[in-house]
Amino acid sequence: MRHSASTWVAEAAAVFMKEWRCEFRTRYSLNTLALFAFTTLVVVSFSLGPLGVSLSKGTALLPVLLWITLLFSVAAGLPRAFVQEEETQTAMALRLAATPSALFCGKLLYGLTLVFALEALVTPVYVAMTSLAIASPGLLVVVLAAGGYGLAVGSTLVAAIIAQARTKGTLFSVLAFPVLLPLLVLAVELTRVAASGTAPDVALPQLLLYDAVVTVAGLMLFPVVWNP
Amino acid sequence: MTTTTLRFENLHRRFGRLAVLKGVSGAVEPGGMLLVTGANGSGKSTLLRCLSGLLAPDAGTIEYREKGTGLDTAERRLRVGVVAPDLAFYGELTVAENLDFFSRLRRVSAARGFAILDRLGLPTDRLAGALSSGMRQRLRWGWALLHSPLLLLLDEPFQNFDAPGERTARELLAEHLAEGGLAVVANPATLEFDHAAQRLDLGG
Repeated sequence: MRHSASTWVAEAAAVFMKEWRCEFRTRYSLNTLALFAFTTLVVVSFSLGPLGVSLSKGTALLPVLLWITLLFSVAAGLPRAFVQEEETQTAMALRLAATPSALFCGKLLYGLTLVFALEALVTPVYVAMTSLAIASPGLLVVVLAAGGYGLAVGSTLVAAIIAQARTKGTLFSVLAFPVLLPLLVLAVELTRVAASGTAPDVALPQLLLYDAVVTVAGLMLFPVVWNP
Repeated sequence: MTTTTLRFENLHRRFGRLAVLKGVSGAVEPGGMLLVTGANGSGKSTLLRCLSGLLAPDAGTIEYREKGTGLDTAERRLRVGVVAPDLAFYGELTVAENLDFFSRLRRVSAARGFAILDRLGLPTDRLAGALSSGMRQRLRWGWALLHSPLLLLLDEPFQNFDAPGERTARELLAEHLAEGGLAVVANPATLEFDHAAQRLDLGG
């Protein structure tokens, strides 16, 4: 009953492809993420644009708003990763057919592509609209990649935990706060470093360590929270 | 011993203060079928969920050996074939796409599932969300038999079927048992089968 690595990868790939196939037919997450991102971008640009932000204040403030925009957009779409399976009663078929770790990784991969697409869409527009100067674009890309991965894996794990609860919305906020708070603090700090052009300190290894820890925790916890 | 057997002893399961299973025991041998009957709420579906590994019993033991090898709960969950009223599929995918997805998860060819659906007369190009209740039941059967399970757990297996659908499903069940498979069938009323079945009445 043990499976080889190739069959495990094939299982995770099947989940990933199924997620995108369903998403292209319903466009639920794509529309929700895009709507939230667009609304927040407009609000931020209208609020800051006419007033103007000085360079020093901009470097301190604008990275926070960027990550708040990304967080709210992700929070609007990703928690449905497992909730929808429970609500449409497809979770039972999945539990009876999928290896839990492969299912988790397939869902994570789907969430990751959504987050990366969101970042690729939002960040250039945000930087242009707010005139946020980026001294180290390379570091910003690394921070967006590592921070986006952390958002995806943290959200996927919390989504799995809340899927069977009755008060899903409230529980997501309560559980996501301690899981995502360290990530956001580090991502904001590193985005400031990328904007100012100073050398990154321990925050980057800490962010990578966070990603690794949450991934391992997700793989260990998921079979327990997914199955009885 | 290389045979496939299912034994469960003294199973207890509560939901809050409501005790649903109170010391239920039974066993099924190769080619055998256990027919579980009882009124609504007597615990038939709960028993099948415990046997499938979808629900953990509060007390008692479940021992499932497949070709002589004992399987733990996680392995049993992935091996059994289940037909249940609350088993649903992806409504935005076609029948064929659903079958293809689950055959990839189960690492088997989808051909067997398509052959079964062909026998049951279910068109595979239709969206699963647009199926009638009888057609959904046909898809459940095709899904349950996709990976050639040795243990079938059937909860109200003939509900919503028309006469030809029920006849074909009974044939599929008879073939499964003839090949040495096991089945546990739960139904509110007793069902008549051509082959002998042990009976377990959970009462009211």
